[in-house]
Amino acid sequence: MSKVSRRKFLAGSLAGGAAVMLSPAKNAMAAGSFAGFPEGMGVLVDMTRCVGCRSCEAACNKEQKLPAPDQPFDDYSVFDQTFHHGTQKRRPTEKAYTVVNRYEPEGSDKPVYRKIQCNHCNEPACLTSCFVNAYTKTNEGAVVYDGSVCVGCRNCMIACPFHIPGYSYSKVIDPVVKKCIFCYDTRVKYGKPPACVEICPAQVLTFGKRKDLLKIARARIKKNPGKYQAEIYGEKTVGGTGWLYLSGEPFEQLGFDTTLQKEPIINNVKGFLGTVPMVLAIWPALFTGFHLLATKNKGHDDHHDSDAEEGEE
Amino acid sequence: MKTLERFGIKPLDGAESREGKRWNVMEKLFLGLTLDQYLNQVVRNKFNWILTAIMAVGIPFIIYRFIFGLGSVTHSSYEYPWGLFLGFGLFCMVPLSASGFMLGTTVEIFGRHDFEPIERLALLNGLLGYFFAVVYLLVDLGQPWRLAYPMVYAWGPAAVLFLVGWHVATYLSVQVAEVSVSFFEWIGWPNAKKFIRKGTIGLTVSGIILSTLHQGALGALFTYAPGKVHPLWYSSEFQWIHYFTSSIPGGLCMVIAVSTIVIMTMAWRCDDRFKDNLDDLTIKLAKGASMGLITYLVIKLIAVAHDNEWVYLATGWGVWWMLEILGGVVLPLVLFAYGIRHKMVTMVRIGAFVTIAGILLNRLNTALIAFNWKLYQEIPHIAEIIISITIFAIYIATYRFILNRLPILYQWKAQTQEAEVSVAVTASPEREQEIPARA
Amino acid sequence: MFVDSKWHMKSLLILLSGLFLTLPAYAMDAPESVTIDALAKYYEPVEFDHEMHVDVSEDCSSCHHHTTGTGTADQYCSKCHSEYKELVKVACQDCHPTQPFSAEVVNLQSQQDIFHADMNGLVGAYHQNCMGCHQEVGGPTGCEDCHARTEAGDEFYHAGKYAPTTAEHATAGH
Repeated sequence: MSKVSRRKFLAGSLAGGAAVMLSPAKNAMAAGSFAGFPEGMGVLVDMTRCVGCRSCEAACNKEQKLPAPDQPFDDYSVFDQTFHHGTQKRRPTEKAYTVVNRYEPEGSDKPVYRKIQCNHCNEPACLTSCFVNAYTKTNEGAVVYDGSVCVGCRNCMIACPFHIPGYSYSKVIDPVVKKCIFCYDTRVKYGKPPACVEICPAQVLTFGKRKDLLKIARARIKKNPGKYQAEIYGEKTVGGTGWLYLSGEPFEQLGFDTTLQKEPIINNVKGFLGTVPMVLAIWPALFTGFHLLATKNKGHDDHHDSDAEEGEE
Repeated sequence: MKTLERFGIKPLDGAESREGKRWNVMEKLFLGLTLDQYLNQVVRNKFNWILTAIMAVGIPFIIYRFIFGLGSVTHSSYEYPWGLFLGFGLFCMVPLSASGFMLGTTVEIFGRHDFEPIERLALLNGLLGYFFAVVYLLVDLGQPWRLAYPMVYAWGPAAVLFLVGWHVATYLSVQVAEVSVSFFEWIGWPNAKKFIRKGTIGLTVSGIILSTLHQGALGALFTYAPGKVHPLWYSSEFQWIHYFTSSIPGGLCMVIAVSTIVIMTMAWRCDDRFKDNLDDLTIKLAKGASMGLITYLVIKLIAVAHDNEWVYLATGWGVWWMLEILGGVVLPLVLFAYGIRHKMVTMVRIGAFVTIAGILLNRLNTALIAFNWKLYQEIPHIAEIIISITIFAIYIATYRFILNRLPILYQWKAQTQEAEVSVAVTASPEREQEIPARA
Repeated sequence: MFVDSKWHMKSLLILLSGLFLTLPAYAMDAPESVTIDALAKYYEPVEFDHEMHVDVSEDCSSCHHHTTGTGTADQYCSKCHSEYKELVKVACQDCHPTQPFSAEVVNLQSQQDIFHADMNGLVGAYHQNCMGCHQEVGGPTGCEDCHARTEAGDEFYHAGKYAPTTAEHATAGH
C-alpha cells in the first residue's frame, strides 16, 4: 500500500500544488529593497507657501477629464466640510485625484493648507499588494494603474498607507481604482510637469528629480531653520515617496501620519512570503513521512489508539 | 421527516429500495419519497420557512447589487474597502472551513480511522465553506467576471492575494475531488469513486500544503496595513501564524458545532455508526481544538511581547482585545478542559460554539472593527448586512440539501442487505425519543 | 548703465512674445504701470501699479533683491551680494523663468555648481512676493482682487455660469 500511495502522492501533489512553480519568482521579487529609480521625478510640496486657492484641484479635474465637481473650485467653503461625524476632512475620490485641506495648528496665526494626492512611493504598497500586477512604477517615478486587468479586489486600497486610491463604486460594468497617476500619460512621460504643478501660482509645488528635490528641501530648511520643521515628510516614510512635504508646523498637526514605518510596506510581508517555498518544499515529504510512520504495520480498521493527534500544526 | 418515520417511511439510504428496486436520480433527489410526501415534509419544516423568508428578502438585494453596482448596497467606503462581504464572508468562512484538511489529515495521513464516521462531514464543511467564501468574494469583487485573471491573464506573483487566489482555487478543486467520493457513491459511479480514492493521499497532502499557506496568507494580507490595523491585532511576523493556528480550532469546532446541530435536527439522516461514535469523537475533536487554542493563545501573547505592545492593553482597545482573548480563547479552553476531563459532551459543545464566536470576533476585529482605528468606525450598510445573511442562508440550505442526500452522515448501501435495513428500522424509533427537535 | 532704448526694445520683445513685463532698475526710470499677462488664459492681464508700490515699499530690494544697486536688506543675500551695483539683469523674468519646470530648468536643479538651483518661476516669484507682503500689510489677497477672471477661467474653475447646478455637498468628500 505504501508504495502505491507514494507514487500517487507525487502525482497528486504535482497536480494539486501547481503554485509550486511560482514560488521562486515571489522570492526574487521580495528580495532586497528598492530605493526608487535614480532618475525618478517627484514633487516637493512647500506648505508654507500654499494659500489654498484650489487651482491644483481645478487643473487636475481638467487634465484627467474628471466629472464636474459638486462645488466650484473657487468655493472655499469646502474647507469647512467634514465627514464621519466630524472626524475626517476631504480626501481624494473617484471624482477628484487631489484635494486641498485647511488645518489650523495650535499656536499658528494663519491656517495651513495641505494638498493630498498619490505620493508615488518608491516601493508602492498598492503595487506589491496587487495580484494581477495592475500597477507599474515607471522610470519617471509615476505609479500608474492599468484598469483593464483590475479584478476589483481593492487590496491596494487596504495596502495604501496614505488612504489614497478611490474606487468607482457607482460603476456597474467597469469599476476601477481612481487615483493620481502623476499625469504620466499626458505630461510626465514627455518631461512636462503635472498639471497641478504647472498651474500652482505660488510655486508651492516644485517638480524635479527626487534626489534633487531632497537637496533643495534640505537647503530651504538650512536657510530658514526657524520657518521650517526639520524633517522632510516622505524622505524615508514607507521606503520614501516621490512627493515630499516641507512644513512650518508639526506634521502630525496637519493630518500626516507620522507613525508610519520607515521601511517599505512589503518588508512586513516578506517574512510570510519567505515561508511559502519552505512549506511547499517541506510539507509533502514531512506529511508523507508521517503517513508512512503512522500507518506502518497497521491495518485500515485500526481503532485501538485513542490519543488525539489532530493538533498537528 | 419525523412524522413520516412514524408511518414507517424511511428515507433513501442506498442504491436500492427495500423491495430491491434500483432508485433513479429523480427518486434519489426526493429521498425515495413520493413527490407528495416530499413536498409535505418540506412545507412542514418551519426552518424551511425561515430560510425562504430570508432569501425572499435577500435575493432581490443580490440582484440589485449586480444591476446597480457595489455602490448601491454598500457605503462605497474608500477607508473600508473590505466590508462585511470579505470581513465576514471570506475571513470568517475560510478558517471555519479548515475542518476538511484537519480531518483529512487525521484519517488519511495519520491513519486514525476511528475518525472516519465524521470525516465526510468535515470534508463537506470544508468544501462548502470555501465555496461560499468564493460566493461572498464574487459579490464583493468590482469585476467578478475577471476572477480568473490572476490565474491565466495577469500575474502579480509578489502579492499575498495572488497566493490566496491560487491556493483557494486549487484547494477548492482538491476538496471537490475529496467530497466527490460521496457523490459518486450516491449517483452510482463506483469506478469514478475508485479513481479518486487512489489519489487520496496526494489530495490530502496537497490539502495540507494549500491550507497551511492560504489560511496563513489571509492573515498575511493584513500585514500590508500596518498603520490601519490596531497594533494589538497586527503583527508582521506572526499574523499568518495567528490565522493558521486559529483556523485549527476553528475548523474542528465547526465540525463539533455542525454535528451538534445535525444530531439535534437531522437525526433521521444519521446512521448508527455516526450516532454511536459522535460523543466520543466530539471529545476527541475537542482535545485537538484545545491544543490548537493553547498554541494560538501562546503565539498571540508572544506577538504582543515581540512588538512590546503591552501599553495598549491599558486602553479601550486593550480591554476589547482582552475580551476577545478571554471570551474567545481562554473561556473555551476552560470549558474544553472541564468537559474533556469529565466526559461532558454538552460542555464541550458549548465550548466549540464559543470558540467559533471567538474566531469570528477575531476576524471581524482585524478586518473591520480594529481596522482604521485611528480614523472612524463604520457600521456596514443595511443592504450589505442583508446580502451577507442571505448568502449565509443559501449556504445553510445547500448544506442541508447535500446532507439530506449524499452519504455524509450515513453509509451508502450499494446492495440491499436485508439485515442492515432491519437494524436501521428498529434502531430509529429508539433514537427518536432522545431527539428534541424535528427533522 | 541702463539705457532707455534698451528698455523700450525689451518691452517690445515682451509684448511680442506675450510674456511678462520687466521692471526697470531705478525707481525714477520705472514704468508707472506694468501689464502682467502670463495667465491670460484664465485671467485678464493685471495692471500692476508700479509707481504706487515704489511709494509704499521701503526699499527696491524688497522685490528686486540685490539687482537695482540699492543694496539688499537680507543678510543672507548680502553675504555674496553686498556691493551696491546695479546689474544688467533687473527685470523679474531675466532670472525667474516663465517655464519653471522645462527640461533645462529641471536640469539646473541637479547642477552642483549653481547656488540658486532652487529658483522660483516667474509666477511663483510674483505670488510669493506679493502675497507675503499683502498678507502682512493688509493688501488684497483673493485671486480676483487682483485678477479679473476670463470666461475660460470660469469654465476652468466651474464657477460663474459654469457652476454646478445641484450642489451635492454630502458627496463632495466621499
